[in-house]
Amino acid sequence: MPLLEVRRVSKSFEGFQALSDVSLAVEEGSLYALMGPNGAGKTTLFNVITGRYTLDAGRVLFANQDISHTPTHRIIHYGIGVSFQRAIPFPSMTVLENVALAVLALDRKTRNFAHPLLSYADAAERAEEIISWVGLDDLKRQLTAALPQGDLKRVDIAIALASKPRLLLLDEPLAGLSRAERAQMVGFIRELLRSLGTTLLFTEHDTEAVLQLAGRIMVLHRGSVLAEGTPNEIRSHPQVQEAFLGREA
Amino acid sequence: MRTKLAVAAVVLAVFPWFLHDYGLQVAIQALVLGVFAMSFNLLFRNTGLLSFGHAACFGAAGYTTALLVSKLRWSFAATLPLALVAAALVALVIGFFSVRLTKIYFTMLTLAFSQMLWAVAHKWYGFTGGDNGITGLLPPGLLGNPKGLYYASLVALVLVSGIIYIVRRSPAGYTLRAVRDNPARAEAIGISAFEYMVAAFVLSGTLSGLAGFLHVAWQHSAFPDLLYWTTSAEVIIAVILGGSAEFFGPAIGAVVLVVLEAVVRSHTQYWPLALGMVLLAMVLFFPSGVISLFQRRQREEVPRAAA
Ligand SMILES: Nc1ncnc2c1ncn2[C@@H]1O[C@H](COP(=O)(O)OP(=O)(O)OP(=O)(O)O)[C@@H](O)[C@H]1O
Ligand SMILES: [Mg+2]
Repeated sequence: MPLLEVRRVSKSFEGFQALSDVSLAVEEGSLYALMGPNGAGKTTLFNVITGRYTLDAGRVLFANQDISHTPTHRIIHYGIGVSFQRAIPFPSMTVLENVALAVLALDRKTRNFAHPLLSYADAAERAEEIISWVGLDDLKRQLTAALPQGDLKRVDIAIALASKPRLLLLDEPLAGLSRAERAQMVGFIRELLRSLGTTLLFTEHDTEAVLQLAGRIMVLHRGSVLAEGTPNEIRSHPQVQEAFLGREA
Repeated sequence: MRTKLAVAAVVLAVFPWFLHDYGLQVAIQALVLGVFAMSFNLLFRNTGLLSFGHAACFGAAGYTTALLVSKLRWSFAATLPLALVAAALVALVIGFFSVRLTKIYFTMLTLAFSQMLWAVAHKWYGFTGGDNGITGLLPPGLLGNPKGLYYASLVALVLVSGIIYIVRRSPAGYTLRAVRDNPARAEAIGISAFEYMVAAFVLSGTLSGLAGFLHVAWQHSAFPDLLYWTTSAEVIIAVILGGSAEFFGPAIGAVVLVVLEAVVRSHTQYWPLALGMVLLAMVLFFPSGVISLFQRRQREEVPRAAA
């Protein structure tokens, strides 16, 4: 039984068909990649899964539960975490505060109003661990408003990890990173699966990175599934070669 | 900061003994507006929601006190809990329907609600006395004595500031700013933006009710003006004057506004004109409030994330 199952989902915006009849299944413990050119519908699919957009047709199942109409703020309690394409965490807070707040939100302690945020020692400690884990120790007291994009991506992933997700949705984790940062992030994504056992569904424009990383790949094009399969199947898929892998064909 | 606070506390505590009666009246008015402005800014600063309907909470509390005292002969102080409950309920209704809307639509809907309440108070002669108001409410004891009322208002200001200070640094306070900074991100970590914005509106409205209660004790009367949009505008102006980004900015803005009004009115009848010019100067030259005149440190505006 797959961990995440998207069944025949469609979504349109005022007549514009952003997703039509998309299905996918992500097995627990796998790395699943969504590819496709700008506007293909990748982010829209994420938003449908997380309940930011209501779907027009189809269903979303997570661990065999129907989450098609679950509001976004409950999604985390099923075990789905997200890191956004444009990583802008909470700019008025430090890195540590950002992550600690996410820890407290998972524990449903954000209603507490009597004691300072960082006086919740368990949460602060867990936040520090996660921050070390993503390698941001030196920056933890910095306001996120002042950080460069590469660091923000990692802060955003640290926030997502604070929610202990079983499935993590990463929207373009490599976008806007330098070459060195990209290599680091690729290693980091592998490590997420290996040592935390987090299942990953991610989108990426960099075809080579996707073919290296992913166990399965779906290629979206104008809201429809163009191809789905293992990296080798995708590599040799005629339409995909034509559309994206031109130079390798 | 600590020494500044201590000095301010001592000055405020001995202040009434150096004032004539008129000066004391101005001081009370400033404190009451200060309580109102601090409460208003709890919502504005932490959630980014600009309410133009806080007069509804202020006035609901004021009218509750006035009605209970005049119709049921309750003692003044005993009406305070119900006055706060009335403010909270009004805030809950307005907040529930308004916070879902963004920016200008939120502001307009809060204005519409408060104007509705004003219309009721204005027209319902049988109950509220309409534009004749409810008068002759002389509070007995402490609240009826100017010095006593001054100290009661000062205590209210300290209390409200304390509550805001504590909430701000708590998980709930951070959660509000998370919703303001980036609502989509907040939802994705498990925060219901709607719930927290309504809660902030209710807390802010309830504390504004404390100011409404004190206002009625000070004026010995309640008029529909309490609920009119000009009351909401006054508190917004105080916050702009003092600077919303500084903790005590709203209270300082309230003092500046009230003192300025007293001075200008004693010389000319053109207070609205003077107020307009002051506001224009503020917006053009000191957009972060008069408090920025006294400090070098420049606060960085935090960019609001696109959802
Ligand atoms: N809220 C919305 N309202 C209207 N149109 C939308 C909305 N969200 C997405 N779209 C449209 O749906 C299409 C798919 O957008 P989406 O963001 O899912 O693409 P994407 O595959 O993530 O692209 P990119 O690689 O550029 O991130 C686009 O044409 C976009 O304009
Ligand atoms: Mg996208």
